[in-house]
Amino acid sequence: MCFNSLFFLFFFMLINFFFLVYFIMNGLSVFFEWENVTFNSMSIVMSILLDWMSLLFMMFVSLISSVVIFYSKSYMNSELNLNRFIILVLMFVFSMVLLIISPNLISILLGWDGLGLISYCLVIYYQNLKSYNAGMLTALSNRIGDVMILMVICWVMNYGSWNYIFYFDFMKNDYVMFIISFMIIIAAMTKSAQIPFSSWLPAAMAAPTPVSALVHSSTLVTAGVYLLIRFNYLLIDMFFFKVLLFLSILTMFMSGISANYEFDLKKIIALSTLSQLGLMMSILSLGFPDIAFFHLLTHSMFKALLFMCAGVIIHMMNDIQDIRYMGGLSLYIPLTSLCLNISNLSLCGIPFLSGFYSKDLILEMVSFNSFNLMVFILFYLSTGLTVFYTFRLIMYVMINDFNLMMIYNLYDEDYIMLNSMFVLLFMSLLSGSFLSWFIFSYPYMIYLPFNLKLMVIYVSILGSILGFMVSNMSIYSLNKLLMSYNLSSFLCLMWFMPNLSTYGLSYIYLNFSQILFKNIDMGWSEIYSGKGIFNILKNYSVFYNVYQMNNFKIYLFSFILYFMILFIFFFI
Amino acid sequence: MSFAPELRSHSQKVCNFYKRAMRTLEAYHVARYVIRYHQVILRNELDKNKAVCDPKEHRRLLRVAENELFMSQHPIPVAKFARSVGIAGGVAYDRVQVIPDWVMDYWHPLEKAHYPEYFKRRECRKCEYIKKWNDGEIR
Repeated sequence: MCFNSLFFLFFFMLINFFFLVYFIMNGLSVFFEWENVTFNSMSIVMSILLDWMSLLFMMFVSLISSVVIFYSKSYMNSELNLNRFIILVLMFVFSMVLLIISPNLISILLGWDGLGLISYCLVIYYQNLKSYNAGMLTALSNRIGDVMILMVICWVMNYGSWNYIFYFDFMKNDYVMFIISFMIIIAAMTKSAQIPFSSWLPAAMAAPTPVSALVHSSTLVTAGVYLLIRFNYLLIDMFFFKVLLFLSILTMFMSGISANYEFDLKKIIALSTLSQLGLMMSILSLGFPDIAFFHLLTHSMFKALLFMCAGVIIHMMNDIQDIRYMGGLSLYIPLTSLCLNISNLSLCGIPFLSGFYSKDLILEMVSFNSFNLMVFILFYLSTGLTVFYTFRLIMYVMINDFNLMMIYNLYDEDYIMLNSMFVLLFMSLLSGSFLSWFIFSYPYMIYLPFNLKLMVIYVSILGSILGFMVSNMSIYSLNKLLMSYNLSSFLCLMWFMPNLSTYGLSYIYLNFSQILFKNIDMGWSEIYSGKGIFNILKNYSVFYNVYQMNNFKIYLFSFILYFMILFIFFFI
Repeated sequence: MSFAPELRSHSQKVCNFYKRAMRTLEAYHVARYVIRYHQVILRNELDKNKAVCDPKEHRRLLRVAENELFMSQHPIPVAKFARSVGIAGGVAYDRVQVIPDWVMDYWHPLEKAHYPEYFKRRECRKCEYIKKWNDGEIR
């Protein structure tokens, strides 16, 4: 099953690539419409839009999913139900492709809902309590976005059809479009885990690592960004985009800080994904959808690679994900640590790797255009924090001493996992330059002062120095400095937002519902129906049972009663 | 037992506290020699009160120590064995659920009809098992 799906998806990727090259060379864009039913003025059509953006995204999604399926053949080797897993992953890819190619809100809803539900099934794949809770959190957060899309469908019915791409030019200042844009932004925020919906992404790391590599780094979380890129032409002058800018910058900053206090390997990578999603959303809300798309694609490559390396390490450490027990792994797993290093450095934006092209372009555009000072500061601060937690991770995992046990045998000779990682390594080295030639037909002209141009380098150097200092293992080390309990628990538990959005929202209502349940469901409504009626009937039948006990007194009494009645009728 | 502290002796409570304090130190520090350094200091603090005889003083010291441990606990406790439960437990606890055998008795007859040989053999095995149990061969 693994090999079949691998070959199918790889072949699909190649087809997309050829069509992409052809479409971009000739400036083509194809819109298929299949008319299902037409009756008088009502028609139900299914439409597919194939332009360079959808073909490019489909190519990347199919490449990553084929590599991840091949990887999971070895990673999930001990699973009894591997076929079930592969089928779930294939269904997920199908939903994502449906979302990508649809210019029609109904088929977007099908893809969007499919993504949410299948990601729930994938998160609860390991059936322990933690996965169940994480899956519930994922599903319910995504469900809010689904409800928003449903309401958008209702509102778009005002225009007569669900093909939203036709209405951007004509209905831009309409009140209905105002409401639609608000709901679309909320839906995208739930899917891409912006504040206040950001609690599900670190929790969803309870899923198996191939799921995290495919779903939580490259496809599911980028669906929200992709939706906003498609709707960008409509949303660009709206006030809500400024609110989105504010929230996405805060998300970027918050997740950057939380990743520095976190010790679970997959949670650190999840928080770095959250930070990059905040970056994508913020540059999108500043009015540059093509740069956001560029960063989406390069990020998906190196983040999937990073998750796969983390999977190899977790396998090797006997399922332990805590970086406090890892160290010195570069000596034992050189090839995996090569992939880990390159993806980490690409994440930091080190020159001429793939992340550099997109991240540097984003930061230069922020500097070049005159935005708010807070926007500027938070962008560069978050970039510095990215480098900080990346170097901290490299120090903990690769450079410091091994900390788990006295005797160990660490190796990464699993060729299936290594081969799948090398494909993504190749792409994460080259996709930056390759995409910058593809997507941008002319380069952005950016003029910056010398120090502002080098600001990224300054911030990266500062972040790397701090990352090095914090992970030094001395007796009185720097990481005790900011470890006062209140501050550290505030910062590492994501500013308590997961607690606020789970316990905070549900506690009052659950308490109230307990009172209602005990008093009404199990109280008064049992007395006036259910058990109460049963008791009445039972008591009556017990009472009347006396008359069936062959009691002689009853016969005598009925004899006397009969004579009294006779006497009354005939003599009175 | 956490549900009936009155049933545990003072030394049991102190040992439990000591273990939790050691785990907290392991959570804060990473290198082995750093952990050992802080553990030796902690042990010295406990050894200073080794010779106290008054039970009231015992209870007061334990209360103060538990309070200090609570105020300095790590937000992300460390777990060495991923598949264990409890303090040593971690992310991989209870991942694989074993479905009990009696679930197959509740299958619909139409579902059972897909595997007739297996269910026939299963009924024989069940009868054999009951016979062996009654004879006392298995407990």
